Amino acid sequence: MSAAKHKKFVYGIFNDDDVVMHAIPALRSKGLRVKDVISPFPIHGLDDALGLERTRISITCFLYGMTGCSLALLMMYYMNIFDWPMDIGGKPSFAFYKNLPAFIPVTFESTVLCAAHGMVITFFLRSKLLPGVEPHVIHPRMADDHFVMAVQIDNDSEAANVEAQLRAAGAIETKK
Amino acid sequence: MGHHGHIEVTSTQPYNFSSRNRMIAMVMMVIGLVAIIAQFATHHEQTWANLLWNNFIFMGMALGATFFLAVQYVAEVGWSAVIKRPLEAMGQSLPVAGVIMILIIALGGKHLYHWMDGGITDPNAANYDEIIAGKSAYLNPVFFWVRVVLYFAIWTYFARLFRANSLRMDAGEGTPAYIKNRRYAAAFLVLFAITESTMSWDFIMSIETHWYSTLFGWYTFSGFFVTSLAALAFIVTYLKHKGYLPEVSEHHLHDIGKFMFAFSIFWTYLWFAQFMLIWYSNIPEEVTYFMLRQDHYRGIWLAAFFINFIAPFIILMSRDAKRKKYLVMFMSAIIFIGHWLDFYIMVVPGSMVIAGHHAAAHAAEGAAHGGQIFGSIGLMEIGTTIGFIGLFAYITQHFLSKSPLVVKNHPMMEESLHHAI
Amino acid sequence: MHKESELRPPLILGDKTWHDITEDVCRPVESKANKWWWLAFSVSLAAFLWWVIAVSYTVGTGLGVWGLNKTVGWAWDITNFVWWVGIGHAGTLISAILLLFRQKWRLSINRSAEAMTIFAVICAASFIVSHMGRPWVAYWPLPLPNQFGSLWVNFNSPLVWDVFAISTYFSVSLVFWYSGLIPDFAVIRDRATTKWRKRIYTILSFGWVGTAKNWQRFEEVSLVLAGLSTPLVLSVHSVVSMDFATSVVPGWHTTIFPPYFVAGAIFSGFAMVQTLLIIVRKVLTLEDYITIYHIDMMNRIILITGSIVGVAYLTEFFIAWYSGVEYEQYAFINRATGPYWWAYWSMMTCNVITPQLFWSKKLRESVFATFIISIFVNIGMWFERFVIIVTSLHRDYLPSSWTMYSPTWVEAGIFIGSLGLFFTCFLLFARVFPVIAMSELKTIVKSSSEGAKKKQSQTAKQETHA
Repeated sequence: MSAAKHKKFVYGIFNDDDVVMHAIPALRSKGLRVKDVISPFPIHGLDDALGLERTRISITCFLYGMTGCSLALLMMYYMNIFDWPMDIGGKPSFAFYKNLPAFIPVTFESTVLCAAHGMVITFFLRSKLLPGVEPHVIHPRMADDHFVMAVQIDNDSEAANVEAQLRAAGAIETKK
Repeated sequence: MGHHGHIEVTSTQPYNFSSRNRMIAMVMMVIGLVAIIAQFATHHEQTWANLLWNNFIFMGMALGATFFLAVQYVAEVGWSAVIKRPLEAMGQSLPVAGVIMILIIALGGKHLYHWMDGGITDPNAANYDEIIAGKSAYLNPVFFWVRVVLYFAIWTYFARLFRANSLRMDAGEGTPAYIKNRRYAAAFLVLFAITESTMSWDFIMSIETHWYSTLFGWYTFSGFFVTSLAALAFIVTYLKHKGYLPEVSEHHLHDIGKFMFAFSIFWTYLWFAQFMLIWYSNIPEEVTYFMLRQDHYRGIWLAAFFINFIAPFIILMSRDAKRKKYLVMFMSAIIFIGHWLDFYIMVVPGSMVIAGHHAAAHAAEGAAHGGQIFGSIGLMEIGTTIGFIGLFAYITQHFLSKSPLVVKNHPMMEESLHHAI
Repeated sequence: MHKESELRPPLILGDKTWHDITEDVCRPVESKANKWWWLAFSVSLAAFLWWVIAVSYTVGTGLGVWGLNKTVGWAWDITNFVWWVGIGHAGTLISAILLLFRQKWRLSINRSAEAMTIFAVICAASFIVSHMGRPWVAYWPLPLPNQFGSLWVNFNSPLVWDVFAISTYFSVSLVFWYSGLIPDFAVIRDRATTKWRKRIYTILSFGWVGTAKNWQRFEEVSLVLAGLSTPLVLSVHSVVSMDFATSVVPGWHTTIFPPYFVAGAIFSGFAMVQTLLIIVRKVLTLEDYITIYHIDMMNRIILITGSIVGVAYLTEFFIAWYSGVEYEQYAFINRATGPYWWAYWSMMTCNVITPQLFWSKKLRESVFATFIISIFVNIGMWFERFVIIVTSLHRDYLPSSWTMYSPTWVEAGIFIGSLGLFFTCFLLFARVFPVIAMSELKTIVKSSSEGAKKKQSQTAKQETHA
């Protein structure tokens, strides 16, 4: 919601997720621009109701994993086969494919390491979650048990109508 | 979204086992019989191994399904209520597999198992083998046959019991019959944990009697369990293709696909654990097992590994793939082929070594190639497998046609019908 | 709203609202510690001090202060390392594998179980570092260039695999845990009444706001992390087992080790979760969230994994005989009847027999019995590692080198101290972090709480009357 500073919103505060889920299509059919819902917990089906696209974060995870897998194999090939082959414990396997069974555990761990951390870092950056970020707290109980519906407006004259509609749809309180 | 409507079970009718399908299954069985007889008449060395290999898969699909069914009860699973009838029907092949297994080993045991060679535990015999003699407290005919009969008696008893209680749910006593099955399932799982390991040692590991691996029982389990999941996926998608089971949604397919994916990875994990530890330690008495396969069966050995790991890993990873009916059906066939090859690698090479010994002892041309003969996969093997698939298809369809395709009055049905992920 | 089967008991007792959950979970964070907490904390800290003394003495004097000798080069240190890593596995099982299996009862316990994972892995790592003898060169197992003093590490060595496995496991578990904590930190932040609390939890919560997109990503990340953590947790104890199983030592080299170690790890981890949570639910008055049903479910897992471990013991013993290998056979006979018979039979009794008591529903639902049996399992799993390591090493191929091992006060000190470290961390966690994943728990209030279930059955009754 980085653009929130420039755009104008009216917020409806709700205290039930089912009411919110019913209100979204009802308000949209009346022409209200319901942009977002802030909830204290994930609501099943909310992303579909708001028309959000599916997140592609798991695809990035796959790519990070592939990177980790390749890097690990390359590293072990370079260190133990190419640069400094070693004959330890009666295993003079100076060819990559002959050593491969022993390289699998590190390859696997490296794949998971890169996939997991890469994905979480991407999640933090895309969602602007970092230590020191000041949250935009619209309602003090929006992380506790209240739901905030954000309806976009173009000018303040619309606000009164939108607030009335939000209340009619079940909002217990409205805010600009 | 909030409240879903009330969904009713619509599959109140049994499956219609059409005369066309009956015909197809019977033709497949005839093909199998012809292939077995033709092979026995010409190159009989591999026939017994082929029978053991294919019957083990046939048995494994039924046993794996019964195990999966028992887990559904013990873990109080909700989503799977709508697919219990196919699982119950799959398990009904167990007595047939048992009879065939007993016939195979009674008639051809000495061509399959090193320890069944006459005189091998007799210190005065020419072919006396000290190591095998040391195992004779476990590997002796009397104890062996007692075990084999017990396995099939126990498994068949439970497979029929689960089905009988499930039919009782149809008749009206939903929750009490469910709770009975839950209790029986717990008992079955305890017995399964023991019989599964010993059965793997008896039927497969003792072929190469000298060789041993503590993981072998669990490894065998992972193989036939994935095969039975693939068979389940095939049966469910086939029934949907025919317009049955409207209750099974893409969410259920997703879950079946997840199980195929996860247990393919699990199989790979155990494959790697067993192979790598033996490869790494390189102890002569253990490593011979893999040397034989690596030197003479490399193509099939590697193909089994790659088909069973890479194919499901790449293709079934995405969420969408697991929700597409025909892709799930296709993958079930791929996984079946992969494990068909893997069980070949587990059964045939060892048996062929014994066949080689026999050929060397009995025939002059056998001695010419040092008693070494190797198995192969050709038309006869494929024919044998077609026969076993026909048998499995016949029995499963027969039982699907005997009761409604979805259990009535199942206490988890509401959850299963509303299943959404 | 998805209707649950009537067979499912409630997961939250009482008619709780979302706000009640917030209040109950935030209370320990927002109030002052009572004297019981301070007492437990002081004891743990004192034990931890012993750890500091014993480790300092080891590092300052050398590994000679331990009871290791010419053939028993691993004993107490690696026993404890494996024990602690194993304990950690239950946390990942609860947060990852139970998530994949959609087990809702995990929601009340996953946070503290994951915390336990993190602290257990820290304790495990402390044994690895201290057994190195020269901890200042602890970076040698890392893949650093030859110029750093050692050669390239040998990637054929299971010990190097372990370095990768443990560090991946630790860091991924930490991130999984932390990303789940972020929305809960935001709850505490928005409720904060003091300036410092507000400031600290603002930083900890990374500026979280529960927008639809954030939640969508959050759920996807949790699911994928669970998918990654599941094979990861299997790999970690498998790699630990390979430290033994790749060798040619009788009793160590056995192919069943990887899955059997994993089952044992989950078994011991759940026992530790029980030990901890039975205390936590009482001290923090969370009985409505960590109910008897939760305890019952965990006991079932203890029963299952304990039985798997039992099957593995019998398999190992049987195959040792079946193999016909003299050394293999002796290793097992020596375990059961040799000088360490008491360790072997402690292991057998605690790990194979005691969990079988959980076939009784009465015992599964008894808090007292669960607590006692969980302690037995913890002890049994400690002995399992001791038996595997010490009995295989003290009598190997060369009878002239046969010897015995017994620990010194220094080793005992490090073990007791590591318990102190573990409990110190856990007690701090229980005071400053939300011990229940409240944001996620709120998703099941309408379907699985006692109040909701009552309403459901009332409407069902009305429907039948109408």
